[in-house]
Amino acid sequence: MTAYLDVDVRPILRAGGEPFSVIMAAIERLEKGQGLRLYATFKPVPLFAVMADKGFAHSASAMEGGEWEVLFTPAAAKPAQVAAPSNGFDFGAWPDPRVKLDNRDLEPPEPMVRILAAADKLGPGETLSALLRREPVFLFPQLEKRGFRWLGGFTTDGATYELTVRAPS
Amino acid sequence: MIGGNMSRWTMTYFAAALTWLLAALALMAAGIGHPATDLAAPDTLVLVHVICIGWLSTAMCGALFQFVPVLVARPLFSERLTLPALGLLTAGLIALLAGFMALGGRLPSGPWLLPLGAVLLVAGFGLVILDLGLTAWLRPTGPARFVLVGLASLCATVTFGAVFAFALAGWAGPVGDAVLARGIPLHAIAGLGGWLTLTAMGVSYRLLSMFMLAPDVEDRQSRLTLAAGGLAVAATVGGGAFAVGVAMRLNAVLSVAALLGLTCAALYGRDLAGIFRNRKRRELELNMRMAILSFASLAGTAVLGIALVSIGTLPLHLGAFAFLTVFGWLSGLVLAKLYKIVAFLTWLETYGPVMGRAATPRVQDLAAEQRATKWFAIYYLAVWAGTLALLAGEPSAFRIAAAAMTVGVFGIIHEIIRIRRLEDVASPLRLPAGAVAPHLLFAKT
Repeated sequence: MTAYLDVDVRPILRAGGEPFSVIMAAIERLEKGQGLRLYATFKPVPLFAVMADKGFAHSASAMEGGEWEVLFTPAAAKPAQVAAPSNGFDFGAWPDPRVKLDNRDLEPPEPMVRILAAADKLGPGETLSALLRREPVFLFPQLEKRGFRWLGGFTTDGATYELTVRAPS
Repeated sequence: MIGGNMSRWTMTYFAAALTWLLAALALMAAGIGHPATDLAAPDTLVLVHVICIGWLSTAMCGALFQFVPVLVARPLFSERLTLPALGLLTAGLIALLAGFMALGGRLPSGPWLLPLGAVLLVAGFGLVILDLGLTAWLRPTGPARFVLVGLASLCATVTFGAVFAFALAGWAGPVGDAVLARGIPLHAIAGLGGWLTLTAMGVSYRLLSMFMLAPDVEDRQSRLTLAAGGLAVAATVGGGAFAVGVAMRLNAVLSVAALLGLTCAALYGRDLAGIFRNRKRRELELNMRMAILSFASLAGTAVLGIALVSIGTLPLHLGAFAFLTVFGWLSGLVLAKLYKIVAFLTWLETYGPVMGRAATPRVQDLAAEQRATKWFAIYYLAVWAGTLALLAGEPSAFRIAAAAMTVGVFGIIHEIIRIRRLEDVASPLRLPAGAVAPHLLFAKT
């Protein structure tokens, strides 16, 4: 049975604050094998990739009033790499992706071209998600120049890079 | 900002490096330097430093300023240091070469030239080490560790070189003279083996898997390769300095280093085979096919080294051994990768801003591989012929081989300039609205 440390960031979110550092501090405190139970006022989609990088699988369940309980359980596999969040982690509510791309079997530069083309069609604040084989380091500056934010990281198997891109709102 | 930005002066570094390469080839074709003269003659020192600092180190620095940020997914510590570093390296190399020419009586005597060159080179490489070291230190994942060990080796190389320069000017006292008398193999191994080879290996891990769509080599595996290579350099520099200090012979130290070096090359071969086996992109591009010839040359140097040691003629054929290392392995790899890197960076610089908004060519569309293949083929054949000419003690045959290498390199440079000028891109795709034609010598964005 996994033990969970409870972290409730709903008061911080309701006050308009940034709970990211609180969550990261809680992760530092976790003992080996311990998980994290997070309460939030929305489904914290961008956090999933960050936590996957740190070796946690997630399961999210909706509670009453649109609030969410998310269990982050340590996975057996070691984390592949540290996540690369765009500068200034924005923990505002990222909606579920409107577009999902699986670019894993495309030859470069097709994955990059498709992501940029799809991103340009997003409405304000909307997101898209993409699966890739590699960390798209050359895509990041292009996203940044166009005003997009992104979050990404390898999934726990280390073979798939999960990227979420959010249009400026 | 994350590490995938264009480094502004990378093309400038490449252009400077290729200019020095042409100078080195001209010297060899004209019969100046080894093998026409003794291995330790001033003319040979000119040739060796044009190749190792002007061509290989400058090209390596330019590539590292672009790719170390990619290895660590972090921006370069300071983009502003890169151009002053190139200026100092170039000025330092020119002063050093002038100093060697004065030693050989080709210029009027100027004992201050060598120390001046050393000081400028220490400053230039110091900026490079500072900038790249601080960048890689933040996230030392697999390939970035190779770069860190390479930079440490560069420190050792530059230190030895500076001591030599001051000793040749007569300003280094008896300790400096002792280091100069015995330390040259240590300087050469730290430079060629530690700085250039380990760094080229580290960068190749990421570039190869990036361009062939292969999973990265596991950290644990590449760490073993690096450990063997790092120990080889550490044994050479540490053990060698100790041996020089107590006036002991260097043979034992060099044998241990050679064994570790061979282990490193074998492990690197195993890592490369893994990348090629696990690649998603089945068809090999020109730069990969040519890189294979340089890996074959690396294996060739290992075989040649073992053969020469076992028949006891390594000191006699050191020139041939070094030539194959420098031109077959290192220069071959750098030329093959330059061809791809220039195409890739040019593509990114030109079409990045309009990607997804207008039809853009593929990276491959910027290059004309079929035409370029013949120049590479001429280059490698000439290098191998040149190695044989050196082994056979045929200076005229060697000069013909050097002339053929020059032809190959001219062809490759011509292809690279065509890539930079987008001359092989079909006209409807060449410059869509919003794309900006790149400058030949630096990145505009």
